Amino acid sequence: MQNKLARRTLLAASGAGLIAAARPIRARAAAKVKIALSNSYIGNKWRIEMENLYKAALEMEPYKSQVDGTWFNSGNNVSEESQQIAGLIGERVDAILVDAASPTGLNGILGQANARGILVVSYDNVVTAPSAIKVNTDQFAFGKQLAEFLVKKLNGHGNVIMVTGVAGTFVDQQRNAGADSIWKANSGIKVVNRYTGMWDSATAERNTAAILPSLPKIDGIWCQGGTDGVLKAFIAAKRTPLPPTAGEAENGFRKFMMPAGYMGQHVDGLSIGQPPYLVLVSLELARRILNKTYPRKNITIPFPFVTSETVKVGETVFPNLPDSFFADFTDSGPNATVKICVDAALTGKPCPGSLAVHLPAA
Amino acid sequence: MSAGSAAVGDNPPAASGPAAAIAAQRVGKSFGGVEALRAASFAARPGEVHALVGENGAGKSTLIKIMGGRLAPDSGTLLLDGRSVRFAGPAEAARRGIGTVFQELTLLPWMSVAENLLIGREPRAALGLIRRAALAPEAEAVLAGLGITHIDPRALAAEISLAERQIIEIARVILRVPRILLLDEPSSSLVEREVTWLFARIRELRAAGTAIVFTSHRWNEITSIADRITIFRNGAEVGTFSGIDEAEAITLMTGRRVEARYPALPAAPAAERPAFELAGATLGATQDGAPGFGFSLAWGEILGVGGLAGQGHRELFLGLFGAPPFRRSAIRVDGRPVRIARPADAIHAGLGIALVPEDRKSEGLLLPLPVRDNLTLPILSRLSIGGVIRGGAERRMTREIITSLGIRTPSAAQPVGALSGGNQQKVLVGRWLLAESRILLLYDVTRGVDIATKHELYELMARLAGEGRAILFYSSDTEELARLCHRVLVLRQGRIAASLAPPALDAEAIVAAAMREAPPPAAHAA
Amino acid sequence: MPRESPDLAPAGAPDDEPAGTRRPRAAHIIGQNIGLILALSILLVSVVVFTGLFAFEQRRLPGNFEITSSVNNTMPLALAASGQTLVVLTRGIDLSVGGVIDLTNALAAIFLAGSVLHMIVVSALILLVGAAAGLLNGLLVGLGRLQPIVVTLATLSIFQGLAIRVLPQPGGSVPTGYTAVLVNPNAPSALLFVGLAVLGWMALRRSRLGVAIFAIGNDEQAAITLGIRAQRTKIIAYTLSGVLYAAGGLFLAASATSGDATTGDVYTLTSIVAVVLGGVSLFGGRGSAIGAIGGAFITTMIVNILFFAHIDPLYQSFYEGLFLVIAVVLGAAVGRLARRAR
Repeated sequence: MQNKLARRTLLAASGAGLIAAARPIRARAAAKVKIALSNSYIGNKWRIEMENLYKAALEMEPYKSQVDGTWFNSGNNVSEESQQIAGLIGERVDAILVDAASPTGLNGILGQANARGILVVSYDNVVTAPSAIKVNTDQFAFGKQLAEFLVKKLNGHGNVIMVTGVAGTFVDQQRNAGADSIWKANSGIKVVNRYTGMWDSATAERNTAAILPSLPKIDGIWCQGGTDGVLKAFIAAKRTPLPPTAGEAENGFRKFMMPAGYMGQHVDGLSIGQPPYLVLVSLELARRILNKTYPRKNITIPFPFVTSETVKVGETVFPNLPDSFFADFTDSGPNATVKICVDAALTGKPCPGSLAVHLPAA
Repeated sequence: MSAGSAAVGDNPPAASGPAAAIAAQRVGKSFGGVEALRAASFAARPGEVHALVGENGAGKSTLIKIMGGRLAPDSGTLLLDGRSVRFAGPAEAARRGIGTVFQELTLLPWMSVAENLLIGREPRAALGLIRRAALAPEAEAVLAGLGITHIDPRALAAEISLAERQIIEIARVILRVPRILLLDEPSSSLVEREVTWLFARIRELRAAGTAIVFTSHRWNEITSIADRITIFRNGAEVGTFSGIDEAEAITLMTGRRVEARYPALPAAPAAERPAFELAGATLGATQDGAPGFGFSLAWGEILGVGGLAGQGHRELFLGLFGAPPFRRSAIRVDGRPVRIARPADAIHAGLGIALVPEDRKSEGLLLPLPVRDNLTLPILSRLSIGGVIRGGAERRMTREIITSLGIRTPSAAQPVGALSGGNQQKVLVGRWLLAESRILLLYDVTRGVDIATKHELYELMARLAGEGRAILFYSSDTEELARLCHRVLVLRQGRIAASLAPPALDAEAIVAAAMREAPPPAAHAA
Repeated sequence: MPRESPDLAPAGAPDDEPAGTRRPRAAHIIGQNIGLILALSILLVSVVVFTGLFAFEQRRLPGNFEITSSVNNTMPLALAASGQTLVVLTRGIDLSVGGVIDLTNALAAIFLAGSVLHMIVVSALILLVGAAAGLLNGLLVGLGRLQPIVVTLATLSIFQGLAIRVLPQPGGSVPTGYTAVLVNPNAPSALLFVGLAVLGWMALRRSRLGVAIFAIGNDEQAAITLGIRAQRTKIIAYTLSGVLYAAGGLFLAASATSGDATTGDVYTLTSIVAVVLGGVSLFGGRGSAIGAIGGAFITTMIVNILFFAHIDPLYQSFYEGLFLVIAVVLGAAVGRLARRAR
């Protein structure tokens, strides 16, 4: 009896949970355009920040009154993302923003979306489908800029390590190619080792710690991701002071770049990131294309970057936030693509005022 | 079981019989250094029933496995119709006309009786595809031809009883009309009328010229069907006989003379304070609303439980040990009410159960683990300090119990699975003695145990009762119950049909009580 | 030949079961196929729920597009789950599914483009690659007597590595004609292939090989005693499953219209999920590929239902897992009830 009662309560509770969670995420309004975000994966900080920015933007003008937005995750499963996009087609949305689980795996279903008049904007992990509009950064330039920084700092001579990303991805391959183009032109730079950090601080730290004892003195670090992990491994191996470092936009890395330093060490560095606000650029692009104020074309935005000279507490580095936080959720400087408050990235709550996203001139 | 019949077989064997259909010559086989067969020889002729007898571990099963193609001999020769053969496996032996029912059943549990029976010879349609719809009717017809009509060919093998599985196993082999039929303890899970059925089939095959080799521990079966008997001891044959009496056979099997088959019982206990009382018990087979039954067991008493198979014995024993099929009822141990909902309660109340499992793969024993661990399993908390086992104490206690129960094992470190069935039973009993169980529930502990070890178990029971322990003892052997127990309860359809005590207690009375009001058309079983 | 003793007549039934009572045929059929029946029932319920939700949200019934995209999207998983079923029935498990699909998907994206004849030949060759991959697993498990989970975990990495070698970065292309034949975007014609898989299964179930696969999954030792060649049966079962995974890789490439050497990874886990949902026993010897195909469709319907229920994306995996647990618990409970009803 008691058992039965408990079971019924449990059922009721889970039922209530289903209903609560099923509460429509959007309110319908006649004039709004329907835009959906299909995010392949929500398993890391970058994707969470990215999704938070999107949610915050939907509550800020001009999107609040013009866009009816939804978002979906698919656990990095191509067939699930494909099935969700099929659902979006069934719902007849006006535009789909896609951060894809595979650059090619969604081409079939995205082609069908396009055939039914739905605008597809692909960003970050972009798809190769010709019908999709692409919003991205130049990954080749990313690798190149990091390498150029080291060449300059080392005056063209020294030992460098390369910490690469996830093999088999377009981004990893482009970034490495960008760096290699610079090394080729500067024969004084010797790449003494090249290993993967999997774009993950813990992995990068572990791999660095394992490989460091076999390496000569390192004069420069080139790192695609997990930069703070690499530096922590150097500190643990007592390879201090830390060499000039060109890396990603981890908050932990930028802490080392602050004048005050971090963990007793200061780094002369360049931090470039794949900005989570790519989603905002995509959202703005979709909105502008749908209300016919911008042409249908791919856009590439400049990387936000800071150096040890320009890094600024509270704006591009946050001593109170975790090392794994991506500090490039917002652009900075006079020509910023977009400026948004840290709360939006952390919680998805809107910032005061309206949101201005500057697309490149049409 | 009638003791010591001298007449063997109903057909006198031909004095100068034909050449052996199958023969083993000086065959040897060892497993990890232990010799199971040492230069053993054996021969069976066409048209004879040849019994292989011996203690467990004497090498009978190993020989059957070698003849059946399951094992390859290490040395010696196997002759088929006088020609030397080596089998790649049981399938090849089967192709050469040897049908074997191994001791371990080979029915596939999640396939139907029909699929099992007809495997490899299913009815086929175009493209060689099996006509699945025709499987059950064909199996039905085949079974009917063998005189089996009570087993549903559509049921899964896992759904039918152990005895029925054994029958299907035998039917599957007979169906293929073997020239040589090897049966390793085919009757161990069969009741009398099923044995009658089996023997009828064996006689048919014998008449058709099949050579039949079988092993059994039941002497009356051996004498009623075997034309010749070969006795095995310690991995080799002692001799082949056309007529031999039981006492002589036991002497040859054990290498010593077994004087009295049953020990003298300690005096019946005074009925002062009962050790164990059960009241208001109902078992699955009873209809709802039927009055419950009960009994009481005195300290120092051996209370037998008998009856036909499947009348609720197993449920009773497992239920007393806290297993679910038994609907709980009032139980008192030493006058105090106890509640037994799971085995831990029973152990705590001073009850211990020794159970020989139906599939002989053991229930409660961890076969790969050493004798010592198996003995001390329930008392580990008592034996350890802060989770660390006191090795010295454990070793001393196990040594004592091994000696006092006469467990035949090379050492306490021997895996229990390597012991003979009877000695495994002793380990189980020993475990509960160590756990200070004062009331022992012994469920069919003597089944499949060789005669000499059986005798040791009898003496052990008498001794334990003499020490004041209370024993509830189920056996499928009525003779055993009659000779070993102070009183016997006969279960029928989940109720106590009779309670027998001397002088009314004998094997015939137990059988009569078990059969009375038995299912109507049972006349032929008399 | 006259019998010397009476039959083992029903009356003498030595068991507690009253003489002569047999469960009706239907009871056997239901009892022995309870997993399959449950899987198909869950599928039916999920289709009904989805239809209701969709109609409520969209003010129309799911149309050709919804049905077609669901079917096309499920094809690779349905094939992978069928292959996994063969392995699981032998009491094995195959973790290399993802690797084989990665590899065949990559090969398809690179080599498929060409004339009709070319596409047919290349498809056949890719199926052979799948067979070879399965054969490798089968040889290691069968002849090597190694544990399937260890063998296939290792070969998973090997096949993934090969796939990356073949197609270092996503790309390649699949001709539209090929896509139209396998996963026609305009009509659920891929159901024909599901029908073929079901027919193939029914033939296997009635073949000597099918009996052997079930037998070794039931009890390998007993099967060997009965003359079944366990090693050979396992090798064939793994090889056939490799072919089915390769077919899954072809369908994946066809619906994506190009290749990615990592998109197949998920099928290792999802094929096991589909097999479990389909009522196939992970202990071997019991189950049906039809159930596993049903299980594949159930997973697609769960995604659809969560989508149209507008579940907060953060809770999506939670609910997917919850539904899986409910389905499995339900399956176990119904199975137990069915057994108790006996």
